[in-house]
Amino acid sequence: MILGRVVGSLWCTRKHAGLGTYKLLLVRPYFYYDPSHETEQVVAVDTVGAGVGEDVVVCLGAPARWSLGDANLPVDAAVLGIVDRCQLQRVAFEGGAPAREGGPRARPLAPLGAQPPRTVEWIE
Amino acid sequence: MIRGVVVGEVWGTRKAAGLDGRKLLLVAVERSDRLVVGVDTLDARVGDRVLVTWGSGARNVLQPGPGNRGVLCDAAVAMVVDGSSDPPAEEGECSSGA
Repeated sequence: MILGRVVGSLWCTRKHAGLGTYKLLLVRPYFYYDPSHETEQVVAVDTVGAGVGEDVVVCLGAPARWSLGDANLPVDAAVLGIVDRCQLQRVAFEGGAPAREGGPRARPLAPLGAQPPRTVEWIE
Repeated sequence: MIRGVVVGEVWGTRKAAGLDGRKLLLVAVERSDRLVVGVDTLDARVGDRVLVTWGSGARNVLQPGPGNRGVLCDAAVAMVVDGSSDPPAEEGECSSGA
């Protein structure tokens, strides 16, 4: 799964019959993730009622399809839950300082200038 | 499966069915700059090195058997690593220094 922020939604009139009732959300991932989905935004089916501005967890691949009850749907991403809060080690996000004495330098998870998750609480 | 280090945790009250009561961990993939969210069943803590199962197999960690297709999960912590025989990471190679 990946952590991302809902930045919008999209709708359409002509679509696969099985997708009739699902809301589609535009989600911007906070971190690099699966190389086959290396885009700035991913479109995910909403199953929990998420709104713009909320942090969400998105499930990718076949499990996202099966969770909608039909293995034949053309879906490969689904919102799994809405994030109330998350904790993250600051050293893992920013990189630089050794995580522990004598340990290797941490490589930053986020590219330079990237925003941390909206709901983050730092673990120092 | 991939190796990673637990660097945080995620909480949410509105979650898909099948994940009730499960902890969601932020796992930094070892020797890369990627971060994934994985379901935890083994009570892993921040700083633990873990093995994460990817894709369809991850559901089997939560609920084994053929009836688990409805579980919305593509990454799960399958193992908390105690040790491995590979050489220690070089400077700047490891994503969170564990």
